Amino acid sequence: MKLRRNKLLVEPPAGASSDIAFILIIFFLVCASVQPEQGRPQVIPKSEEEPDKKNQSQNPEVELTRTAVILNGDPVSNKTFAPRLASVLARKERKADKIVVLKSHKDVSYERWINVTGLIEKAGGIVTLQIEEEQVHIVN
Amino acid sequence: MKIPKRSFEASVPSMAMGDIAFLLLIFFVILARAQDDSHLRWEPAAEEELEQAKNYKASVVIDVDNKSYLNGRPIAQGQLAAALADLLGNAEQNKRTVLLKVHKDATAIHFEPVIEAVSKAGGEIHHVLEKRRK
Repeated sequence: MKLRRNKLLVEPPAGASSDIAFILIIFFLVCASVQPEQGRPQVIPKSEEEPDKKNQSQNPEVELTRTAVILNGDPVSNKTFAPRLASVLARKERKADKIVVLKSHKDVSYERWINVTGLIEKAGGIVTLQIEEEQVHIVN
Repeated sequence: MKIPKRSFEASVPSMAMGDIAFLLLIFFVILARAQDDSHLRWEPAAEEELEQAKNYKASVVIDVDNKSYLNGRPIAQGQLAAALADLLGNAEQNKRTVLLKVHKDATAIHFEPVIEAVSKAGGEIHHVLEKRRK
């Protein structure tokens, strides 16, 4: 005589699958939403309508091109720029005199701009921007 | 003769709970997505020393196509200062941080007006950068 084996019904518990899915969604959402917001704070003085030209002329001026840095009209290499600016700023006592006027050419990349402004701030300067306004020249 | 009362089982249908939670989650994700800028394409510039941004009120992105976005929505550079001033309102000095996410190859003609607009609106700029690999 043959004995019949009892067939056991093996099913995964379906009731918990929604909870598992929910927890998985939360996990992926948290992973996706954690974006590092690291960087560098920068204080840029508020622009004035009529800048005080007398004071402005005393401030160091940095002209930035794609390949060169010009400090008060003299081209300087990237390596010597920071110590030279630091020595210029060391002679200034007032905070207002430590404002460095930065004039960037149109084609200067953001990465280069960030590097140079970082050097200015490390040297003790406060960056302010001089932005060229578009001018219309009429030729007769 | 006493007739016994029939007792009815009244249980909350728990099978629908997962679906309800899922729909709620989708709703909040879409709501949060309106202010998110993670879909924008930009590569951060590199820097050696980085700080964590705190209490930021808004984020401005300049993407790989040099287009500007305020809190994930496209905006013209001319309208940025006014829109930021509205967002910042009368917030305290240390709570006026604006995240600036500029693509590393963007040129000065595109990012300088944005920096000027943040400055005009009284925002405190925080450049979002990545750690320089040595």
